[in-house]
Amino acid sequence: MVAIFLPVLLSPVAFILGRKKGIQLVTWFSFGVLAISTCFLMAPILSNGNDNPVYEESYSWSQFGNFGLRLDGLSIPFAIIINILCTVLALYSKPYMLHKIQEDADAQFGGHPSDHGNRPTSSGSGFEHIASSSSSSSSSSPSTQTDIESTSQMTTLVEKESYVRTQTGLYFALYLTFSMGMLGTVLATNLIEFYVFFELMLVPAFLMVAFYGYGAKRRIALMFLFWTHVGAVILLLGLLAMGFFAGGFDYVTVKENASKIPVEWMSLIIFSLVIGLGVKLAAFGLHIWLPYAHSEAPTPISALLSPAMIGIGAYGLLRLWMDLLTGDYTQYSIYINIWGLITMIYGGAMALMQDDIKRVLAYSSISQMGYILFGLGSESVLGISGATLIYVSHGLGKALLFMMAGSIILQTGTRSMSQLGGLAGKMPYTAVLAMIGGLTIIGIPPTSGFMSEWITFNGALQSGIEHAETIRVVVFALGLVATLLTAGYILWMYKRVFFGKIPERLIHVKDSNRYITATMAFLAAMTLIVGVYPDMFLVPITGYITNMFSSTPEVLPLPTADGSGAGNGDGGVEGVTNVTSSSSTQPSQVADAISAYAELHSVILSENPNRLNVYQQSLLYYYDPNLAGNRGIDNSVGEDAGTGAEAKGGSA
Amino acid sequence: MTTAEGVMGFQGIAINVWLIWMLPFIGAALMPALRRNKPNLLNYTAVGFSLASAILAATLIPLALTDSEVHSQINWISALNLDAGILADPLAIIMTNVVAWISFLIFVYSVGYLHGERDLTRYWFFMLFFIGSMQLIVLSDNLLMLFFGWEGVGLASYALIGFWYYDKKKDYVGRERHMALGIPMWASPTHAGMKAFLMTKAGDIMMLAGMFLIFIYAGTFGFKELVADQSWAIEMSSQNLLVPAAILLFGGAVGKSAQLPLNEWLLEAMTGPTSVSALIHAATMVKAGVFLVGRIGPLFFALAAFDMAQFFEVIAWVGAITAFLLATQALVNPEIKKVLAYSTGSQIGYMMMALGIAGLSTQFVDGYTAGFFQLISHALFKASLFMGAGALLHAVGSRFLTDMGGVRKHMKKTYIFMLLAGLSLAGAPLVTSGFWSKDSIFAATLESGYTYAIPLFAIAVIVAIMTAFYTFRMLGMAFFGDPSKHLKEMDAKGHHVHEVSKVMWVPFGILAGATIAIGLIGIPFEEELHNVFAAYLDTSFGIPEEGSTQGEVMTGQQGPGGDESEEEREVEGRFEINYAAVAASVIAFGVGGGLGYLFYIARKLNPEIISKSIVTRAIWKFLYNRWYLNSILYWGTVIIPMLIYRIIWRYFESTIIDGINPAFQFSMSSFSKIVKAGQTGITQTYLFVFGVGIMILVMLLLI
Repeated sequence: MVAIFLPVLLSPVAFILGRKKGIQLVTWFSFGVLAISTCFLMAPILSNGNDNPVYEESYSWSQFGNFGLRLDGLSIPFAIIINILCTVLALYSKPYMLHKIQEDADAQFGGHPSDHGNRPTSSGSGFEHIASSSSSSSSSSPSTQTDIESTSQMTTLVEKESYVRTQTGLYFALYLTFSMGMLGTVLATNLIEFYVFFELMLVPAFLMVAFYGYGAKRRIALMFLFWTHVGAVILLLGLLAMGFFAGGFDYVTVKENASKIPVEWMSLIIFSLVIGLGVKLAAFGLHIWLPYAHSEAPTPISALLSPAMIGIGAYGLLRLWMDLLTGDYTQYSIYINIWGLITMIYGGAMALMQDDIKRVLAYSSISQMGYILFGLGSESVLGISGATLIYVSHGLGKALLFMMAGSIILQTGTRSMSQLGGLAGKMPYTAVLAMIGGLTIIGIPPTSGFMSEWITFNGALQSGIEHAETIRVVVFALGLVATLLTAGYILWMYKRVFFGKIPERLIHVKDSNRYITATMAFLAAMTLIVGVYPDMFLVPITGYITNMFSSTPEVLPLPTADGSGAGNGDGGVEGVTNVTSSSSTQPSQVADAISAYAELHSVILSENPNRLNVYQQSLLYYYDPNLAGNRGIDNSVGEDAGTGAEAKGGSA
Repeated sequence: MTTAEGVMGFQGIAINVWLIWMLPFIGAALMPALRRNKPNLLNYTAVGFSLASAILAATLIPLALTDSEVHSQINWISALNLDAGILADPLAIIMTNVVAWISFLIFVYSVGYLHGERDLTRYWFFMLFFIGSMQLIVLSDNLLMLFFGWEGVGLASYALIGFWYYDKKKDYVGRERHMALGIPMWASPTHAGMKAFLMTKAGDIMMLAGMFLIFIYAGTFGFKELVADQSWAIEMSSQNLLVPAAILLFGGAVGKSAQLPLNEWLLEAMTGPTSVSALIHAATMVKAGVFLVGRIGPLFFALAAFDMAQFFEVIAWVGAITAFLLATQALVNPEIKKVLAYSTGSQIGYMMMALGIAGLSTQFVDGYTAGFFQLISHALFKASLFMGAGALLHAVGSRFLTDMGGVRKHMKKTYIFMLLAGLSLAGAPLVTSGFWSKDSIFAATLESGYTYAIPLFAIAVIVAIMTAFYTFRMLGMAFFGDPSKHLKEMDAKGHHVHEVSKVMWVPFGILAGATIAIGLIGIPFEEELHNVFAAYLDTSFGIPEEGSTQGEVMTGQQGPGGDESEEEREVEGRFEINYAAVAASVIAFGVGGGLGYLFYIARKLNPEIISKSIVTRAIWKFLYNRWYLNSILYWGTVIIPMLIYRIIWRYFESTIIDGINPAFQFSMSSFSKIVKAGQTGITQTYLFVFGVGIMILVMLLLI
């Protein structure tokens, strides 16, 4: 409870602090608040041990049911990543937003970059700043009388100072509200509560884009608001329908009474959930708001919007659909899978076409949401767990890349790649940390990207193979090829920004200050740790998801080593063999098959010990029941396999 | 197994094995911390770490000779029940020593080669990272951990190939303005790094798919576990998935080892510093693919009950064709490093062919030994040649052979060592390791009994002829004849060609010496290797030496006839020289080397004769343009897809999808205009419409 409401309660304080005391204090204040909130979040997880941590608070609310907050295996990864990103980016915001707000102030009041004393960065080289075209720029007409000029300058300075302070205060107030909205969404235990938080994170995000964005910021912010709000309303219709039919809005009630929802309504509800959350996920076809919003938002906000916020759509799908309405999941999963594939490839292909770093990253986010959808549609515990882990790794990796973009904007004043190049030597820290972020997105070990991707793809292939569905195997293969596309656009972006010749005007660029590099380093360390040792996220996720689908046999459990009897505890013990159980390869039969084969082989060798043609023929006979029968060989395995395949074909 | 050790965690000698791959990573992590110190401190630290790793590797050699192994595991991903572990069996021990010692020598050489380079921190970081990843590949006991190392070498090669990221013209590879089918055939370092990364990644995704297939059925990635319980293989083969899975795994090796469909990256990879090329070609990266096949080959052969012949056929033919393809291209290339690169691809093809042949014959160990013998001898002479080439580049300042000539008078040591290593590459009879390893491949092919053994053998001999020829061509163009125009110009400017420093020539001198030393004791060496592998295959995979495939009867399950084969082995006392193979190797060296000698060393014949006939010129052009494979690759995977994306971007994303917003806006505003038009504010109009409406209603009602 405290974890959530501390930020929102203190956000007015942040505003006041910002106005009165300036940015230094308010940054650390926000950071402190969020850090405390993170600690509160971590406490129940750590104290409960790692196995299946659940922490719940519940308060009676209105006729909608209870207002509760719940941390369980599903919400833990989302909640932790959201809070870590918010905390870290609060610090990152300081130099960036100060720079941005002062730039806006310059545009508003006129004046020169050299006017303000406490410029955070060393970018005094006077590069052309990104034009914030919509802001009215009033050019003070030069006056001949010096005293009038100086007084007007004085007033401008004072006004500007107060403008900067108000704006920073406002920024951090909104920032805190925003973080609380995101956290609340994933902790909610009630449909209405979910919706309220869902909208609550939208409003501050809208305001921050509108106030602090680039380009046609008001227009883009409105577009962002319209798209996601319309999505949210569609979602709301689904939620209301769910609640009415189930007789209550609490997750518990809905889950218990999910079977009461009429069948004809079910598909409508799922449709509205998928469309509503699909907008948030920016899946293919519903994605157009994202490149605008993400590239024109101020960079710390892009870094939050992109990995943390849009991924909440995935959380919604997992929680509202797969968890609460488990039954119908398998019917539609293949479409989700394919939609994910299309999103993945489309986002990647479009990312290749961009010149603006932030737009590359925005399309890359679309592509990554495709990965998540792909995993969610994979119909196996492995794939769904992997998709959740992709949220984690994308959160860390994409935040790193957006922070890189911010660092470059701060230092060079441009984000167009055609004007950049060769920065690796000038900004070594940014370059190294961005590389780690890039590798996370590509999915190269030892970053968390690889961990999440292999698990996802393995799950997708598993369901393809074991349900014997060709289409899933094809989708899987194309998905793997799409990872090449991902590698392509990341590396190409990296090459254009950091490699090659340095344009002349960038020769004096320096690396960003510690607020930026240290926060990036923290996230880079996180992604490496999760990549090598993913248990802290993976154990709760797989545990929860295995339970979630324990009554749905179509959703494949985790593969386990047969016979070794390794204790995976619940659900997954029987492993692969129970799905193909009709072929029932018991150990004795295995031994039989092997000895039968050995017998056959010794026969063949004794007849004509000479070589391979015979040897190969022997193998042929072995598989052809007729021929094998002629030779008097027990062909039980071959037959069994045949029936097994048939049985599976039937079940699929 | 005589003294198998299965340890949990870090105990006993297992700690050595863990440290072999961890030490380079620790060293790499130290590099950024030391960046502000003097370059020498960085150099010594890096070399020290690689030496420590190499010494630890050497402590394992007794284990290999007594056919024992170390297997140690720790918990890793408990959610999926996966363990991390190391497995040092004879195969891994031999490989880890090759990697460790050769990289150590290359490290020493680097100290001289990169003297005065400003980015030493980055260089050493990635070099240490490189060998750490390679050792991880070699020593890990499961596929997933192996894949960590696998991508690690990919990443390190990306970083090191593009080491000179500022893309200066002198670091490019290829002749400028050389186009083939509209594709530029020269590349900048960063371009080359990206190409290497993406092409090997294309192999890696195949490997991943293969790994997934096996994991789905077996629930484990561990090599030991896969051998111990084979029910997974029975299920997979019952669905015809075993061979595809194996071939997909081999796809990873194709990418890393630059075999046929994915061979093009290897040549551009020459943009890195020469020490990096030496490391990539001799000790790490391309050898990783061969090692992978060596790792999984016996496993699948032991599963021979499920007819893995296709898998081994694929390996053998991919290897043979690659060997031929790249050898032909090496004949005409004017850049010394690229000639060596082609040669590596071609020699790796030999190794693959040998490993494939192993699986196709009943005598698995013959081909297996041949493949690894070739790997070892290639590692020695190719590292030496690359380092020698680096010394040449250092002295001459140009990567083109045509800019050299007559250098032997000024660089005596480099000349002698490169000549020795070159002779080994060419396969000079009886005294070079290259001769014996090639000979063992020929012998294994001839004796395999595989249906198409003769065509394979023919390809192998032709490749051997070409190898000898291009080796002599390279040596002749660099060291013999008259100084080139470039050298004369340099002389005029006062830059004289001179011998490189000691720290550079000693390492490749040692390697060149080693390749001759092994050549002199060729037969005993091969026999020892043969025995080690025979024992290893027998104990670990139950592949008895005398051919039969009762190998699938695993440890613990002795099949019928196991005793017989053992007797047979003793009776025959295997290992003998195949004289046909020896004769073929000698003839191949004689023909290829003789032609090369006449053209480029004695200069009795003029190579210009090929420009006289249209046919030879066409062939020359075809080879020089790399069989147009590079161009086809670019058109197919870069230019056409990009064009399609561009079209989608222009006409779909920017027009239709992006048009949703303005269209919505437009429709809303036009709707409001229509509505506005109705709101005239004139009472008469309203009354008129009202009246008309009433009349219509009345008429409707009346009718």
